[in-house]
Amino acid sequence: MAEMIGSIIILLGAIFHFSAGLGIFRMPDAYTRMQAGTKASTLGNVLVLLGLAFLHPDWILKLLLLFGFVLVTNPVSSHALARAAHVIGIPMARETGVDALRDVRKRGRGAT
Amino acid sequence: MMRKISAVLVVVFFGLVFSSLAINYTERQSLRPLAESYVKLVPQDLGAPNVITGILLTYRGFDTLGEVAALFMAAAAVGLLLGTSDKGRGQSAAELPERPKPSSEIVQSGAQILVPLISIFAVYIIMNGHRSAGGGFQGGAVIASSVLLFVLASPRYRVDLAFFSMTESVAGVLFVLAGIAGLTFANGFLDSRVLPLGHFGAFISAGAIPILSVLLGVKVGCELSVIIDRFRA
Amino acid sequence: MTSSVVLVTGLALILIGMWGLLTHRNILRIVIAFSLMGTGTHIMIVAIGYVTNGTAPIIDRALTLSEAPARAVDPIPSALVVTAIVIGLAVTAVMLAYAIRLYQSKKTLSIDAFTESKW
Repeated sequence: MAEMIGSIIILLGAIFHFSAGLGIFRMPDAYTRMQAGTKASTLGNVLVLLGLAFLHPDWILKLLLLFGFVLVTNPVSSHALARAAHVIGIPMARETGVDALRDVRKRGRGAT
Repeated sequence: MMRKISAVLVVVFFGLVFSSLAINYTERQSLRPLAESYVKLVPQDLGAPNVITGILLTYRGFDTLGEVAALFMAAAAVGLLLGTSDKGRGQSAAELPERPKPSSEIVQSGAQILVPLISIFAVYIIMNGHRSAGGGFQGGAVIASSVLLFVLASPRYRVDLAFFSMTESVAGVLFVLAGIAGLTFANGFLDSRVLPLGHFGAFISAGAIPILSVLLGVKVGCELSVIIDRFRA
Repeated sequence: MTSSVVLVTGLALILIGMWGLLTHRNILRIVIAFSLMGTGTHIMIVAIGYVTNGTAPIIDRALTLSEAPARAVDPIPSALVVTAIVIGLAVTAVMLAYAIRLYQSKKTLSIDAFTESKW
């Protein structure tokens, strides 16, 4: 029974990973692609680890550490990429409504 | 149009070759004779529980030396292409800001937590190469990734290229010296039985394999860190 | 059965990388296709060494010394791939350095601008 639940959760995680790849392919500009890639693949990672916890209950402590590590590293790296893309001026898609860092872009270099 | 058609033809041809490979593939039920002798020999002869590290550092140690030379060539190529000479980068140097912008707060806070963790993990991988999965090459790559995170978080930090080059060269020379010591005192070049084998599975065991792992890890880590630093704007 | 699936995945990745290599005009996409081919090759090499119901060739609690020759997976392909992955990283760095220099000389990332060495 626990094996069935674990396998279904791992399959769900694989579906989220696939949707991350599909999002990177179909999104209009760089920022939305980064958003799709990070969020969906982090969730896919978390679901796969959760499914593994059902399949091997004695690995729970290691899987918890992995879970914390993944949650800290993925958003930080994607934030660094998105920040760098904004600084060098990669254009946003036309449908974008709000640019929260528009003043930073206008002021040019010299500000964070 | 011609380009697309020839691309399709090449991919179809390779696809046919690969499909013949995949169709005739049957899973093996037992190990091949060479692999079986390696799996039997490494624990009892070298005293190393990790068969792969024993193969890489003793039985195929010369190939590892060749891979280290290939890595050195790649680092030299990157140094040649992206070297810091003013002549070659005339107009790009004029566009650079005087001082690099500080990175954002999220990256800085993340790096404060992550850089010590990653460094300790890299040292653990290198030191445990002979006991469980790990080894010199993998640990060196993880060290380079922690240096990369550090450079991203504090862009004003300049990697000390002289120190890294000196460390890498010394590690390489010591590696070859350990190999020559194997030639003089034991059965062949890079033989790890120069040091006592020790208790199976203990931390200090398996002859000279931990020392070779550490030297390899230091060399690979320094090389990849120098490569990463060259990409700085 | 398991290793056949992994083998086919590796071979499919090599074919996809080859297709991307030959079709794209942007230098960075060609570098990504090279990296994809490398990953596919590593997967394929590791899949060849699988022994049915085998486990990793490391002697610890899961695999005792006496049953190692019967149940361990082939260690030689894994040993080859371990160094190949790190060297693949260094070669990708060399390719990206080339891309940077090409961009600095012609201000464009399309390889159609660099046709002076073609016959």
